[in-house]
Amino acid sequence: MPLFGKSQKGPADVVKALKEAVNSLEKGDKKAEKAQEDVSKNLVLIKNMLYGTSDAEPQADIIVAQLAQELYNSNLLLLLIQNLNRIDFEGKKDVAQVFNNILRRQIGTRSPTVEYICTKSEILFTLMTGYEHQEIALNCGTMLRECARYEALAKIMLYSDDFYNFFRYVEVSTFDIASDAFSTFKELLTRHKLLCADFLEMNYDKVFTHYQRLLNSENYVTRRQSLKLLGELLLDRHNFTVMTRYISNPDNLKLMMNMLKERSRNIQFEAFHVFKVFVANPNKPKPILDILLRNQEKLVEFLVRFHTDRAEDEQFNDEKAYLIRQIRELKPIPGH
Amino acid sequence: MTNYDGQISSYKTVSILGQCFDSKAIVYLANHLPSASLVAIKKFDMDKVRGEVKLVEREIILTRQLNHPNIISYHTAFVASSEVCVVSPLMAYGSCRDLLCRHFNEGLIEPSIIMIIQDVLQALVYIHKKGYIHRAIRASHILISATGQACVTGLRYACPIIINGKWQRSIHSFPATTEKNLNWLSPEILEQNLLGYNEKSDIYSVGMVICELANGSEPFAGMSKTLMLTEKVRGITPQLLDRTTVSKDENLDCGGDCELSPSILNRRFSDDLHELAGLCFTREPYDRPTAAQLLTHPIFKTIRKSLPLPELLKPALPLSDRVGYDTEEMEVFDSISRLSNLNLYSCEWDF
Repeated sequence: MPLFGKSQKGPADVVKALKEAVNSLEKGDKKAEKAQEDVSKNLVLIKNMLYGTSDAEPQADIIVAQLAQELYNSNLLLLLIQNLNRIDFEGKKDVAQVFNNILRRQIGTRSPTVEYICTKSEILFTLMTGYEHQEIALNCGTMLRECARYEALAKIMLYSDDFYNFFRYVEVSTFDIASDAFSTFKELLTRHKLLCADFLEMNYDKVFTHYQRLLNSENYVTRRQSLKLLGELLLDRHNFTVMTRYISNPDNLKLMMNMLKERSRNIQFEAFHVFKVFVANPNKPKPILDILLRNQEKLVEFLVRFHTDRAEDEQFNDEKAYLIRQIRELKPIPGH
Repeated sequence: MTNYDGQISSYKTVSILGQCFDSKAIVYLANHLPSASLVAIKKFDMDKVRGEVKLVEREIILTRQLNHPNIISYHTAFVASSEVCVVSPLMAYGSCRDLLCRHFNEGLIEPSIIMIIQDVLQALVYIHKKGYIHRAIRASHILISATGQACVTGLRYACPIIINGKWQRSIHSFPATTEKNLNWLSPEILEQNLLGYNEKSDIYSVGMVICELANGSEPFAGMSKTLMLTEKVRGITPQLLDRTTVSKDENLDCGGDCELSPSILNRRFSDDLHELAGLCFTREPYDRPTAAQLLTHPIFKTIRKSLPLPELLKPALPLSDRVGYDTEEMEVFDSISRLSNLNLYSCEWDF
């Protein structure tokens, strides 16, 4: 594409042409094939303006600013996402790349695209339901994770009813989609510490009822990943209140003790990192203490033989030795 | 179009094709029962995979987002017990490394090399255009289909060129767990200096593959990693072994250690092929041609009238034609995996 000359289309023209093409693709009329071609072509033009190519630099800021303004005004971002399943394979990825670039746009400390999406939260919800559709799930995933980097957008997603659909998405039978959904799910629950802690505290019952299902999933990968994430959430000091609540529930302790004995060594290992929090708690509620006491000898014997081949992992061995000592020294609360 | 489902019971494993990913994954030949078609299933034993879960995920997700006739495609990927199973079309000749080990210890003939390299370069044009660097181009990551099409695989080592919403001019991250690929990597990746590297480093690896396919042996085989690095940094690279590069006297001089067979000493690769390898090995990445530029090299015109690759690969036969698979091996394997599933230690908690 020449940098100068009459043939070059400005941002307004490209956005207009793309919008028309997507509209006719949506209608599915006779010209669908032509529309498909036009969509692809104009997407590439926009992508090249933003990223440049191997032999051309990206366009100047002023052009990019114009382009962004046109995209907001024409409502094209939403339109593209709503019609993502109709766009061809390479075009879908181009949409995601254009979206992600525009999203990162900054003017000083402001992020105009983020502000725009806050007023058009339908964009986020459409992206989230993208996980329902195999052919666009991964494309939506890359856009969602990019959105989740911004606290304002992460908040809208976390506090929506649609968020609970993730508990289903992370368990779908297609491995790549489930993994991708899990990355997004994890990003939403861990990226913005204070936001996440507040969210978990306020929605403790609902979230952990759903979370329980993941920990009991038939799917090995879901079980392992959700257990690992649980450990990370509980050990994050921002989530202190949530942790205290979690380790006061004897059902949670029982689940972890059973997972310590799972056949999979990785699951045993991840369960260990949650189990240790129950034991290390200086103020164990009675039901928790009772379970530990009832199994005191068995636990000590079990832990002594637990993952003895991890000799090189110093931290693990220190923690294990500490747990064994703690459990050995457990005593019933006097007067009971 | 056949629908390859995510039910492990739909796939009957027939034999083992090979191992990969440090033996954490095994590739099986399997029969997809509903369609009665042969497929390859790669099973990652996730219990052996500790820190590299992300690598497995990345490979599968990236491969699913690429669509090119010279890049391996996946029918589906699903979880069955503690394994991640990836179903892909059967690559009936296996990898180029398999071909070299089983049938062509002294290398492939020139037309075969050119055809394979052409396919690899086409895959790289696409991969680079889509904003990725492969970082592990080597014969074992090039698979050959029954019709003789070469498909690139091994995308778990790939990295994106677009970072933080920007197309990067150079990349500085060093690929994790890449020990086994070091010999194929470009000097600029290995140096890990401030200049970084870009997609041209894949082209250097293509040069390594040309030599690997021509000579039959892995580049820098038996050499220490430090010496390999020094050689590359000094611009010393492997050569195509033929009568123009190894003289008979030289061969005798070095005693018994590196004695080459008469067929190597008498063969002659074309000047074009020597030149192609040389272009790939251009020391300065900026001056090194791109994949698209290399494809315009006249050498690729020489194969227009050549026989198709499967003819040239004889006596190697595509897998689907071989009869009597190694079922015995499968049985031993099954019983081993049954044994390892026995729970040796169990205790009951008292709740």
